[in-house]
Amino acid sequence: MTAIPHPPHSTVRSTVPPEGTRGVLLAVLILAMMLGGATLLGWLLSGLTARIYPEAPPYMILVYVLGILLVMMPVVSRLFPWIVNWYYLFPALVFLAAFTVLPIILTVNYAFTNYNAVNSGNPDSSLRTTATISADKRVITLAETPQSQNVQEYLRCDTPGCAGATLVLFDDQASVPYRAKVASVSGLQVTLAAPFTGPIEVARATRLNSYTYVGLENFREIFGKASRALVPVFIWTVVFAFSTVIINALAGLILGILLYNKNLKGRNIYRTLLFLPWAIPAVISVQMWVALFNQQFGIVNKGLGLLGLAAVPWLGDPLWAKISVLFVNLWLGFPYMMTATISALSTINDDLYEAASIDGASRWQQIVNITLPLLRNSFTPILLSGFAFNFNNFGIIYLLTQGGPDQQGREATARSTDILLSWGYNTAFASSGGQNFALASAIALIIFFLTLAISLVNFKAAGVFEEARK
Amino acid sequence: MKKALTILSLALLPSASAANITVWTHFGGGELTWLKDQAAAFDKKGNKTTIVSVPFDQIPDKLIQSAPKGQGPDVIVTLPQDRLGQLASAGVIEPMDKYITSKTDFDKTGLTAMTYQGKLFAIPMFAESVALVYNKKLVSKAPTTWAEFLKVAQDNTGNGKFGFLADLNNAYMNYGVISAYGGYVFKNTGGTLNTKDIGLANAGADKASAFLNDLRYKYNLVPEGVSGDVAKGAFTDGRLAMYLTGPWDMGDIKKAGIDYGITAFPTPPGASGKWSPFVGVQGTMISAYSKQKVAAAGFAKQISSSDAQLAFNKAGGRIPVSLSARTKLKSDPVVVGFGKSISAGTAMPNVPAMGAVWAPWSAAIAQSVQKPNQDYKQILDKAVQEISGNIK
Amino acid sequence: MTTMPSQDATPPEVYVHQEPGVLRKALPWLIIAAAVVIVGVLAFYLNRNMQGRPKSFTIFFVERGWVRFLLFLLAASGVLALTSLLGQRIGMARTGRKISYSAVLGVQLTHLFLMLVVLVAIYPLFYVLIAAFDPRNSLFAFPDFSNPNILYKTGLLPRLEVLSYENFQKLFEGVAIPLWQLVLAGIAGAALTALLILAMIARAGRESEGLNQTRSWIMRVLIVALVVLVFFMGPSQFGGSTNESKFLLSVRNTLLVSGITGFLAILLSTTAGYAMARLRFPGRFQTLLFFIFIQMFPVFLALVAVYTLMVLLGLSNTFTGLILAYSGGAIAFNTWIFKGYVESLPESLEEAAMVDGATRWQTFIKVVIPLSGGILVFIFLNQFIGTYAEFILANILLTGVEKWTVGIMLLSFTQGQFSTKWGVFAAAATLGALPIVALFYGFQGYFVGGTVSGGVKE
Repeated sequence: MTAIPHPPHSTVRSTVPPEGTRGVLLAVLILAMMLGGATLLGWLLSGLTARIYPEAPPYMILVYVLGILLVMMPVVSRLFPWIVNWYYLFPALVFLAAFTVLPIILTVNYAFTNYNAVNSGNPDSSLRTTATISADKRVITLAETPQSQNVQEYLRCDTPGCAGATLVLFDDQASVPYRAKVASVSGLQVTLAAPFTGPIEVARATRLNSYTYVGLENFREIFGKASRALVPVFIWTVVFAFSTVIINALAGLILGILLYNKNLKGRNIYRTLLFLPWAIPAVISVQMWVALFNQQFGIVNKGLGLLGLAAVPWLGDPLWAKISVLFVNLWLGFPYMMTATISALSTINDDLYEAASIDGASRWQQIVNITLPLLRNSFTPILLSGFAFNFNNFGIIYLLTQGGPDQQGREATARSTDILLSWGYNTAFASSGGQNFALASAIALIIFFLTLAISLVNFKAAGVFEEARK
Repeated sequence: MKKALTILSLALLPSASAANITVWTHFGGGELTWLKDQAAAFDKKGNKTTIVSVPFDQIPDKLIQSAPKGQGPDVIVTLPQDRLGQLASAGVIEPMDKYITSKTDFDKTGLTAMTYQGKLFAIPMFAESVALVYNKKLVSKAPTTWAEFLKVAQDNTGNGKFGFLADLNNAYMNYGVISAYGGYVFKNTGGTLNTKDIGLANAGADKASAFLNDLRYKYNLVPEGVSGDVAKGAFTDGRLAMYLTGPWDMGDIKKAGIDYGITAFPTPPGASGKWSPFVGVQGTMISAYSKQKVAAAGFAKQISSSDAQLAFNKAGGRIPVSLSARTKLKSDPVVVGFGKSISAGTAMPNVPAMGAVWAPWSAAIAQSVQKPNQDYKQILDKAVQEISGNIK
Repeated sequence: MTTMPSQDATPPEVYVHQEPGVLRKALPWLIIAAAVVIVGVLAFYLNRNMQGRPKSFTIFFVERGWVRFLLFLLAASGVLALTSLLGQRIGMARTGRKISYSAVLGVQLTHLFLMLVVLVAIYPLFYVLIAAFDPRNSLFAFPDFSNPNILYKTGLLPRLEVLSYENFQKLFEGVAIPLWQLVLAGIAGAALTALLILAMIARAGRESEGLNQTRSWIMRVLIVALVVLVFFMGPSQFGGSTNESKFLLSVRNTLLVSGITGFLAILLSTTAGYAMARLRFPGRFQTLLFFIFIQMFPVFLALVAVYTLMVLLGLSNTFTGLILAYSGGAIAFNTWIFKGYVESLPESLEEAAMVDGATRWQTFIKVVIPLSGGILVFIFLNQFIGTYAEFILANILLTGVEKWTVGIMLLSFTQGQFSTKWGVFAAAATLGALPIVALFYGFQGYFVGGTVSGGVKE
């Protein structure tokens, strides 16, 4: 424990924070109240601004919140002097809350709905029909119910009376949708729960393609098709992350040990050249490999042809594509492992080697008995973080194979080289997934828990917890 | 200072008099210049048009996300019909019947393709389908039968040269063969598509997959790893006699100075019908969330007029759907060549269910040509199962 | 941190020969055996996979080429064995000391091996560089079977006589750059080159105070020139009709976004990292864990939510929105790195300052920050380079070619539906990689140290 120096003037209010869980909870409560208060005030202020200057941008709320927080901070720290410690964490906490935690909460929420491109909570324009409104603005008469037998089916209501369903009303231009709650339906007439007050002449109506909560349906779907998606994808993700780290580390170790040889002239030139694959952004170099791996015209196979070897379907065959992914990742990653080896080696005392060679140990024995055991300490965290990084290494998969090629017995969103993350991406954003945001959110949750579990093991092994507690 | 005042006064003007419309387009090069000229002409009437370039395959997804939030465009130039149903169900595109008074100048196929649930959702601009493009230097007479085709192709294959190439992995490109053998996506009975009746795994579709596999492993024409751009590269390099492609490659082919001809792919051996490729029609749509629908529709109509389509063809060589424009282009070999395969073709389905078809179907076609002699029936059955499961 | 008994196994300070147990002895062999089995099984399946595939007729095969290659390697090793012998003798005669023959031969063979590795690792880059000058718009190797030269015959070397600047011209079509911007760009380029040269001199071991001073001045010039350039270049200067003609604009956009993101990363993580390292209060450990674990959520599957949030704030399709979204993403890592760095500083300096009456905050600003130059540069660079290569988030949040970043631009060349532009891609890739490559080599020292200590890989 570092001693916190007491300020010369002692106040009634303690500078020492309350101990234990109580202290944590109190601090979190105070911070949450500050943030909540600032957000509320900022929201009110920005609403006010918008009323006075309609052109004011919505992000003014951010500016207000930040300003209010700046004013609040010294005030609160007078009340609770120990909260100052937390102020150091405040910028990071605020950013995390706004741009990471908030989207995550929304996503977790989507995971239990049927939210997708069509069920997006917006009015359907293909089923729009002409409609008239009664004089008391309560009854809407639809001209027809396209594609449906009756109004109940048209509005997709759960109850025969359709109470609580939503009807969307437009004027003739159909520019701005107005939503109205339904009280009851009979025939083609829809009675609204309250008289329609919108500033338009109702001429058209349609239904809302709203999304609903479906409970665990998405997870049921994922596990129902597990043998065609989740299981093979998960196995490949683990195999990929594990083997790519091992292969890269081996290559890096060999090159690093070779290059650390002080008798090797021009080793700086080799190092500079071999550094190059690391220096080029992966978004550029991986795409380059796509062309170079072309089975008929890529220079890789042309080069193999020079050696008399057959043309390999690098990206065209499920098994070879996996090899290609590992190879490209090796090309991208070995310079890093090589550099790590060299800098770890340079911390080893040369006297050790001298002592060993006086004892008559051969070069090989020196490597096995001195170099490798010493490297293990610095390599453990590197290997573990490499595993975690590659576990979610979406970039290389997306850029090199886009998950392909296709493999028999798989879903179209989970192809032969898809890892968990790219499978989720395909589900939400690729045309193959039909923009099923809800399913993708469920996949995201599963990935989160898997990553969490793996990281917990990793952190235990790498001593991250001890280092954090320190 | 004066400039600032002008801007200020412009900003204060009521917005109704001048329409500000945003146009999303995937055009580039000459076609984009054409669109900018059209916008300039439109702006002369007191409007202000902003053109935003968005990649073709991202337009539907971005539209679905951004339009309901008020971030989308007013006009989309242009999208094909296969996502039309989905966009309409998502409610982001606006029926245009009331803005289009005369439909007589448009090709029937074009109008049908753009109509969903009895409503016209886009003004058709141009049609496209694949056809067999050949190098006249290497192919003296366009082959009309399978036997002729095979002979020409095999004579030209070998020693770093190719007789025939095609992207065999691509379902869209190979639909012509599938339909020739009797396969179909959704059963079409009198103009309505039955999404419950999927014909991609029937006996004909199995035969078609076998034929595609034969092109690679029996006739040894199309090696593994050939994609559309490989084929184009080989063709423009003068090493390829014939390949299957659409009007989109014609610009590069003309630039490379290849003496080309365009014809239909012959009826494959043992097929029950003629080769009938997918016909895609691209049309101009307006957003359902546009605040300026009349102006937007005005712009869409302007760029679809016969004269505008003629200029558009000059800019990029696409095949217009305006009948009068097509008549004026009678002597253009590209229009005539692809025009033939368009009239022999089958329109791509435009129902939302089509979104569920592409990925599993493409995967099945790609698997069928990965190795020699496969169980096509099993592959296709699995795909159809997945498609039906996704349609619900 | 010094008061805690260290739990790490301290590295042995002297060489002690230990006889390992049986299991320890067997373990390496077991691992090697397992690896051999895995490789064998894999080779079997790969070989079976290749059976029945027709031989390609577009590739020029040299029958038994691999035998020739092995013979060549053998011959080269033989020559090296001879020259090593010669070298050893000459060396011994010159210096009069005993030189081991195996050491000399080992060095020579290492050279041979490394040259082969360099050839395999670097040739693809060289090929792409050439393809950038190939007007046929292709990264594909079309062989020329009639050519007697084996490199042309296989297509391994592109036809050098047809090379032109056409692909680069496409990237600059319709771009209007005023003179002052050109001058600034020239200054920035010169400064970057100078930095590279200085880095080379420093690597050669001639580090000095004067050198450091020159370097910091050059760096300032570079930063000012780039900032002015990036802020004052705008879409109106790019009048070309194609997407690729906006390439330079996309570079400018990326520099703008990456630069500000890098700067924000420092702002957001230093205070937190310092507090985690030095301050002791309940909740510190839990917050650190929260930081680490919350960022394990695959945020880009939450993109729909991020997009919704940005629309609510009116920041969709703006660089501000993108920057904010990026900045949230790297807080945990950067905090962790900075925490580790502060812990490595001697605490006595801060204590001395506080004895002199400085508050915590003043100590942080006046003592810790000035000492953290290197790690701050690393945090900035790491964030900068990571952001430079990002494309998923940018693609979802930004619409329209005028807003594109380099990643989206490059992706649009290779993933266009029916129109892949490999030639333009190669040209753009060459130009787009240059700034990052220059940064890497110019700041190699910072980079290697920071990355290795952080155990991270980008």
